[in-house]
Amino acid sequence: MEQPNDLILEMQNGSEKAFSSLYTMYSEAIYGIIYSIVLDENTAEELLQDVFIKVWNNAASYSINKGRFFTWLLNFARNTAIDETRSKAFKNSKKNLSTTNFVDILSPSDSLNKKTNAIGLKKFVDALKPACIKIIDLLYFKGFTQAEASKTLDIPLGTIKTRNRTCINDLRVMVLG
Amino acid sequence: MEPEEIITSGNLEMYVCGALPPEEALEIERAISAYPEVKREVELIEESLVHLAETVAPPLQAMTWTHILNSIRNLNNTNDSKVRSLNWPAITGWAAAIIFMGGIMWMLKQTNDLNDSLQVTTTENTILKEDKANAENQLVENNEILEVLRSKKYQSYTLPGNQAVAPEAFAKVYLNKTENVAYIDIKGLPTPPRGKVYQVWSLKMEPLTPTSVGLISSENKTSEGIYKFVNFPNPEAFGITLEPEGGSETPTLSQLYTLGMITI
Repeated sequence: MEQPNDLILEMQNGSEKAFSSLYTMYSEAIYGIIYSIVLDENTAEELLQDVFIKVWNNAASYSINKGRFFTWLLNFARNTAIDETRSKAFKNSKKNLSTTNFVDILSPSDSLNKKTNAIGLKKFVDALKPACIKIIDLLYFKGFTQAEASKTLDIPLGTIKTRNRTCINDLRVMVLG
Repeated sequence: MEPEEIITSGNLEMYVCGALPPEEALEIERAISAYPEVKREVELIEESLVHLAETVAPPLQAMTWTHILNSIRNLNNTNDSKVRSLNWPAITGWAAAIIFMGGIMWMLKQTNDLNDSLQVTTTENTILKEDKANAENQLVENNEILEVLRSKKYQSYTLPGNQAVAPEAFAKVYLNKTENVAYIDIKGLPTPPRGKVYQVWSLKMEPLTPTSVGLISSENKTSEGIYKFVNFPNPEAFGITLEPEGGSETPTLSQLYTLGMITI
């Protein structure tokens, strides 16, 4: 998927239409990231709104030559969601979030509401090795650094990168064929 | 590093996840610009991860986008147009000044009204004082007349009207013969025409000698319609004639209004 640089530039110049297109492209994935962290639909929707409002207001701070637009969005989403989980109100209403990963979210009833390819994808996700689920969850969904993931999973630092590559490769084969 | 090396290093996956330190990320960006196959690899990794995250997302409400759009439009609006705030201290100040001015105007009007009213009352008082003085004078006069009427010193006579000139006319005389004082009441005489005046005459019969007693004028007026005369010869009769202004030496008999004998 090539990055839509034209749309990004238009949005940076204040085009609501371009912003709308970018929202259509990325909102669902960003929503998935946020939801995997806060595990509450209402909170996740509010945070998704916050994230895209931040994106609009801080559009000028992104540069096409410096990193992927999706990664930029990803950082906004994870930071916003993690900030929320650290808030007092959130801590009072939710317990033991650390034990949940993105695969735990994928219950059959949820999947019924989704696109057919997502239902198909669920099977593949379920087929991911438990070690892969853990490492993708930390590095991608939770925004851990290599060192943090190494410490949490008790895996040598050098192994994190290669294991992550293998796992995403498995995923890629399942999703993209 | 060769493209193949970069691809297999696992750094591209870390890069898309945002888990790479800045200096290593910079290397990847250089490689992306330099090698299309590296760029392609990044795009595929990103696509897989986007799909994975989408799988995790619950159904997204269509209203979410509307909320975002409304928020960014409101933000733009509040930035563009400065909210016009009311300057309450100034408004309060002006209101106080206007009320104060109004109060002063009202008080000035009240003062003027009071002054006017005071002036009217003062005038009324003066008029009342004059009226009172007049009434007192009138009372003194009336008392004097009453004294005369009740006194035994005075005799009352009626001077009947001259049939030829004024048959309806009459005059009354109250005469004190010992002191030679007469009060004449002309209520029964018509108002003299302009430029004419009544003159009172004392008459001796044998021979007929008229002597002027005086003019009916304000000088010897005692009370309304009553005139006092003194110092005249003992009369046998009184006559009243209409004379030109200032009176005459001798009575104009054609204008004799009343004539009456004085008998004891």
